[in-house]
Amino acid sequence: MKGLGTLKRCAVLAISCTLLAGCWDRKEMDDIALVMASAIDQLGDGQIELSLQIALPTGIPGTLQTGGKGQKPVLVVAVKGKNAHELIGQAQQQLSRKLFFGHRGVIIFGEEYARRGITEVLDTLLRFPDSRYNSFFLTARGASAKEILTTPYHLELIPAIGMKIMQNSQYTVGVKIDRFLDHLAADGTMPYSGAIRIVKDAQGEPTFQIDQVAVYRENKLAGYLSGKSLQAFKMIKGMGKGMKLTAEVEPKGPETQGTITADVLSVRSKIRAFYVKGTPSFDLTVNVDSRGLANDSTLDISKTPNLLRAEKALTDELNERLTDLLTLTQREFKSDVVGFGRELHIEHPKAWKKLKKRWTDLYPEVPVRVRARVHLERIGRTQAPGHLELPE
Amino acid sequence: MKPMNRKTRKIRGIGQQIEELSYTADTVISDKLADNEAEIVAIFDKCSDLVVRKMELPGSVPCLVVYLNVLVEDVSWDGGLLEPLSSFKADPSAGPDAYIDQLTAKLASTLQPMILGSMKEVVESIVHGSVVLFLESQKRAVLFPFKDQKQRELQEPSTEAVIRGPRLGFIENIDVNMALLRQYLRTPRLKMERMSVGKLSRTDVTLAYLDSYAPPSVIQDVKTRLSQIQFDSVISSGYVEELISDHPYSPFPVIQATERPDSVAASFITGKVAVIVNGTPMVLLLPVTFWFGFQSAEDYFMNFIFATMLRWLRYLFAFMAMALPSIFVAITTYHPEMIPTSLALSLAAAREVVPFPAMAETLIMEITFEALREAGVRLPRPVGQTISIVGALVIGQAAVQAGIISAPIIIVVSMTGIASFLIPHAAMSQAVSMMRFPMVVLAGTFGLYGVSAGLLAILVHLTTLRSYGVPYLWPIAPFNRPGMMDVIVRSPWRYMHKRQQHIQQMLELQKQ
Repeated sequence: MKGLGTLKRCAVLAISCTLLAGCWDRKEMDDIALVMASAIDQLGDGQIELSLQIALPTGIPGTLQTGGKGQKPVLVVAVKGKNAHELIGQAQQQLSRKLFFGHRGVIIFGEEYARRGITEVLDTLLRFPDSRYNSFFLTARGASAKEILTTPYHLELIPAIGMKIMQNSQYTVGVKIDRFLDHLAADGTMPYSGAIRIVKDAQGEPTFQIDQVAVYRENKLAGYLSGKSLQAFKMIKGMGKGMKLTAEVEPKGPETQGTITADVLSVRSKIRAFYVKGTPSFDLTVNVDSRGLANDSTLDISKTPNLLRAEKALTDELNERLTDLLTLTQREFKSDVVGFGRELHIEHPKAWKKLKKRWTDLYPEVPVRVRARVHLERIGRTQAPGHLELPE
Repeated sequence: MKPMNRKTRKIRGIGQQIEELSYTADTVISDKLADNEAEIVAIFDKCSDLVVRKMELPGSVPCLVVYLNVLVEDVSWDGGLLEPLSSFKADPSAGPDAYIDQLTAKLASTLQPMILGSMKEVVESIVHGSVVLFLESQKRAVLFPFKDQKQRELQEPSTEAVIRGPRLGFIENIDVNMALLRQYLRTPRLKMERMSVGKLSRTDVTLAYLDSYAPPSVIQDVKTRLSQIQFDSVISSGYVEELISDHPYSPFPVIQATERPDSVAASFITGKVAVIVNGTPMVLLLPVTFWFGFQSAEDYFMNFIFATMLRWLRYLFAFMAMALPSIFVAITTYHPEMIPTSLALSLAAAREVVPFPAMAETLIMEITFEALREAGVRLPRPVGQTISIVGALVIGQAAVQAGIISAPIIIVVSMTGIASFLIPHAAMSQAVSMMRFPMVVLAGTFGLYGVSAGLLAILVHLTTLRSYGVPYLWPIAPFNRPGMMDVIVRSPWRYMHKRQQHIQQMLELQKQ
């Protein structure tokens, strides 16, 4: 560079910059079609259908230029074809703006498609540079994924944002792409995702609800967890905070239900793996700290025997739920979604080497001892329940 | 120590052809009054304010009085000079040659006369506002200096306003300015060396510093550079600043100009040197580092916690003034995935009807803002209001409603505008906010890569700057612990003493 003037030096720098980067990556905000959600369905004729929910900026109210009244804030584009990548090209042909997947919040698999296996789309997702690992995977239940994308949702402008916010909250089980792939690729555990279904709201309008979990066996959908087994699943996975446990402590009385409800404050779950004489077995310990939320019984739980009785009832309830969950995953789904294999791998790596290949077949038969313990603290000492008689 | 003058060389002005003016030729004072009169009248040809009076001093000595009547007030002429002159009685025994010595000796206490030997001195004294007395058959002239009293009242400095600090600012008169400094530092160690620059203007320049505080190398360096100014006229300290600067081609100021005597006095303690130029209320302070631009005089008068907080605010907003529009352009046009989804949607909605790319939009608005600001500064007060109405309504609201400019751009540009006003020193504010234009172009062509390349280039440039041997980014680079007390935070005064004489420390560091 010596001997060159400052001007020439600057010119050299500027030119090399031009070669290193470039305007070809430039995309103005109004030249891109923001894909908020995508959905993949299996069609009867062996084809797959890709639906994209695209945000329409003109439909968003609050800006000076566009009132956005009467205009829908989203557009759903659907294309049919053989493989996912080809489909994106087809969808692009319907749009004047470039598809942009950087803001995609959710990816929904249709139930049928998920049952047939999702490997092909996963590969596309992995290779596609636009797509981000922090979007959520959802599996549709009882509806095609496209139907879910077209379902209106009134609380948020864009339904996909609603789904994303729901998935981010503690009330639903949200699995992002990276975690799903991690579970799929790792030995000794199976992937799962949130499950979304269409329900009717009070006015009879369809809306969606994410209240279940889809359990996969390898890359295929095995079944759904809901209700009590889902609660047990969340407890084991450490997502139990804020969950409500209700147990019956006495027979239903004339004025009371005879139940006590506890609000879960924290959960410590631990899986111990044992390998004795070529047979693996597991201990599942779940310790729950909870807070008394409702006492719909005649018991005064500020008295120690009553408190112990309530704790026992809650523990039994939790034990039952955990056992039910294990039965379901072992007998019905045959999918080690809890991740017992991973624990065996950690604690007995040599044994795991031998069992690894057969683990999927072995899992339904392994014995698991469930040890739950619910501890009730903060029972509410400042006031006695209103229906209890005041002490004299 | 050898002075660290990287760029000291002869600084030549425009009219170097006028090497020597005719009067500066070694004309000697003639012993004939008529010759002297002719000479003076010839030199001051077409100067209507020249007064040449013939009169007779006591003892029948004919003499010639010469002065410029616009510079010498009638009052001082009548009472101050004429009266003592006419009451003067010479001792006739000493002879005519001793008359002039007796005159100066007698009047020394009141009029401070001086004896001049050459016509060049005579002419210079006249233009400085003195009265010159020629005597018959004398090759010497007597000078009676009169201070030019034309000056404005002392006022509060308008450029660096403070809430708690002193309200006194420099004025155009160099003597008053020197007096103001003397009032802050009552010590003979406060040295004030006077010289004059500019071949025609003969502008008075005073070099002020605290002896044994200011590094001798810096003092020597400033003197050398001042003496090398070969310029016809030096009207303001802006000329001097540019001519003695280490980096006249850099947008960043390496010399501080201030209107506040308290700032200058405080800087003396840290070893800085001040250059006072007659005719300007701005005094130059050197050497300085980059951080001076973010230190307001007010910082030192208020609680250090609050001063520190304000400093952080200034650093943050200085960064915004430089980089906010470019970061906005880079992220929205190259990296829309970095924006939170709901914000991305609002931005997309706002951009929906806008015809220009984000970079063009930003440049249009930034240039408009600069134009508005400049118009606001130069316009006379009564018209100034029009500008704010036009600016706020027409350019702000109407442009958005017409769909020419998107609202987020207006927000970004206004934020940037406010940010640039947070930098307390005008020169630094201009330098920092000028940088945003190349930054926006870089952002619009290369995205965040361009933004970081631009920031890096600015950083590299800043590290190469020196102000009279002091690294511009001192004490951050090179790192110096005591120096940090006044950069990231404004330390409490009880710890700040460790930082005193820090110019010396900076130079010590340089030698290693």
